[in-house]
Amino acid sequence: MSFKHSSEDGYPTPTSTEQRRLEIILSQHRPPPDHPKPTLQKNVHMQWLVRNFSQGFPERFISQDASQPWLFFWTLQGFYFIGAELDPQNKQRCIDTIMACQHSDGGFGGGPGQFPHLLSTYAAVSALACVGRPGPGGGWDQIDRVKLYSFFMSLKQPDGSFLVSRDSEVDIRGIYCLLCAATLLDMLTPELVAGTASFVASLQTYEGGFASASHPYYIADPPSLETLADYPRPALGEAHGGYTFCALASWILLRPLLDKMELERVPEINVKNLTRWLALMQGSEIELGGFKGRTNKLVDVCYSWWVGGCFALLRSLGVGVRHTVPSQQQVDNEDDDEQWSDVDDDVFNRFAIQEYIFYAGQHTTGGLRDKPPKVADAYHTLYALSGLSTAQHYTAPSDEVRERLRKEWKQIHDDSLDEWRKVAYVEARAWKEEEAASMYINGPGDRLNAAHPVFNLTITHVGRIMSHFYKQNQS
Amino acid sequence: MNQALTQLLRSFILKPANKDATDYFRGVVKAGEMSERVLTLTESVIRMNPAHYSAWQYRYRTLLAINAPLDEELELMDELAEKFLKNYQVWHHRRLLLQRGALAKTPAAELAFIARGLSYDAKNYHTWAYRQWILAYFNQDALWEGEMRYIENMLEDDVRNNSAWHHRFFVVFSNGVRKGDEDREDTIRREVSFTKEKIALAPNNASAWNYLRGVLEHSDTPFASLREFVLPYTVPAHSSLDDVRDDSVVDLENPRPSPGADLPCPAAIEFLADIHEAVGDLQLISFRQLWKSLADEHDTIRKRYWEHRISEAQASRDS
Repeated sequence: MSFKHSSEDGYPTPTSTEQRRLEIILSQHRPPPDHPKPTLQKNVHMQWLVRNFSQGFPERFISQDASQPWLFFWTLQGFYFIGAELDPQNKQRCIDTIMACQHSDGGFGGGPGQFPHLLSTYAAVSALACVGRPGPGGGWDQIDRVKLYSFFMSLKQPDGSFLVSRDSEVDIRGIYCLLCAATLLDMLTPELVAGTASFVASLQTYEGGFASASHPYYIADPPSLETLADYPRPALGEAHGGYTFCALASWILLRPLLDKMELERVPEINVKNLTRWLALMQGSEIELGGFKGRTNKLVDVCYSWWVGGCFALLRSLGVGVRHTVPSQQQVDNEDDDEQWSDVDDDVFNRFAIQEYIFYAGQHTTGGLRDKPPKVADAYHTLYALSGLSTAQHYTAPSDEVRERLRKEWKQIHDDSLDEWRKVAYVEARAWKEEEAASMYINGPGDRLNAAHPVFNLTITHVGRIMSHFYKQNQS
Repeated sequence: MNQALTQLLRSFILKPANKDATDYFRGVVKAGEMSERVLTLTESVIRMNPAHYSAWQYRYRTLLAINAPLDEELELMDELAEKFLKNYQVWHHRRLLLQRGALAKTPAAELAFIARGLSYDAKNYHTWAYRQWILAYFNQDALWEGEMRYIENMLEDDVRNNSAWHHRFFVVFSNGVRKGDEDREDTIRREVSFTKEKIALAPNNASAWNYLRGVLEHSDTPFASLREFVLPYTVPAHSSLDDVRDDSVVDLENPRPSPGADLPCPAAIEFLADIHEAVGDLQLISFRQLWKSLADEHDTIRKRYWEHRISEAQASRDS
């Protein structure tokens, strides 16, 4: 069976030529109909992860020397997706090495002695969520939260954004990283996130996706200000899958807190345009249904998570939520055919993306990759597994869980922020996987553990670390 | 599994090739030294690993502390930017230098330098973002003036370059009103007709359709105003629609699909469906059919999405 190439309209350009070249490669990776379909080579990937973990990462990853906590997070979370558990001794080694990256001024750096950075801090906290524990030597209680908070505040800009590190750039990835760490560790305050939601909203471009940053005109002191109509907030850079994930996840962490803040103008995002842009990022059948990161760019397995994962996040905004409709009512509403009788309201192709990961993403010697004929690396391996997990499972905020957590909430601090902390806690923990809605293209043998759509940790690990820091019962 | 892990994890350590330089660097930071020597050291760390953000950060602080000539630093950055085009820090460091008044080069020369970078890598995210920052930060009419021609050349080279389309939106709409564009109706007409031409050239180009939608939404122009233009793109080439048209009459407002066009074009069908949806209840059946044709025939990978659009429309009609 052959699929249609993307149209060049008789007018080839560098973009369409490159696209065509990749489509030919990808179509060769689709198994012929009479052949067995590739499945997830869990053991091979596991061995690949263990090999990286044990022998050090290959020399060519020297560029990752400033990303050591990331290598831990990518590898550990990979283990937990596949379902492996580390023994206490190995966990301790991980904890000790990660804690060595904590800076004396607060926050974590890319390695021992490196300056603290929001991205490394996220990776370190996430890795500790996987393998850490309370008590001496467990990592969790050795995180200096007081200094971490001042590190965060030292990066804050007047427009609600944050630098990723001292003298560094503003980047939505950093904001996502900060919000994740602050949410997990019970560090969110109105002061910390004042203006941040508006900044996030300012990143949405005319295409519907989000950019990495926007430009604040009031700092520019422009010489010809009078030519400007208002104070615009132009997005710097086009809509991009990675930034869109970070922006949407940040939005979802901040949104429940918005009505607890006294805002003159409540920021908004355009969910309809966002959903459209996300859907358009999925490549066609000839691209094996992989996701792109930008309009007219090539598919890449990491966007299985950055773009594919957004569809799970959208469920908390009411998009693509499963609902049970009496079958009779459905029939009445439809004048045409039978395909409408199911209640599966996914807005992306959960089936096709799994094909891309299995057919094009897996490297025969282990690990997962951007696209053939590239080699595997730690980054693409984790985000391919994350993307596969989010395509397999249906995870959404559950009213039932939310109600239970609210009821069980124990007021610990006698302070005005109790309600605020409760909202942050309950909303972050309300995500629940519905096993009945899982979808495996080759059957449950390929099953990975479900990811928390915001944090990309297992839901269990999120519950464990949050109940510790918010001093709640883990339930 | 666990025993194997224990065995293997024994030697778990990263092995940086530039261990010596990074070790020295750590020592220097610990001692708080800021000197000429530190500049040499951080340069060698950066050359080996441009992603070493701590080296960049300490280098910048050292430059300021010892009052090093920033113009020289900018020259070094010219070389490093070409070498490490994809690297973040290279561009950010330039930005810091310019903010500190390193202006051996004018902002206009910076734009020329960036253009050279984009000629190697026409969609580099950081390079485009840096170009946009230069424009917004210096915000000089003379800088803005050259941008439209630059964009047109980029789109001439590759009409599918989405970064160039985004840059166009940035220049025309995102920064307020530019000199020469004060007549907004005229500007919008110009942008719509420019985009129509590009769509006619290669109709299956998501970048152009997204730009068109962006312009219309930004200016609250109803999609329906483009119905005439869109229709020929929604049907197979040489369809019945052609019979009633006289091709000898050139309609400048509504350029027709190029002879090589692959029709019908899903983006056009979607556009037409959106027109019908906006028009309202009476047209409900027709836009449902259009979406259904995308779901079942023209854009099957997104079947779920088109079905979602139908059920959303249904829900908003019911409410």
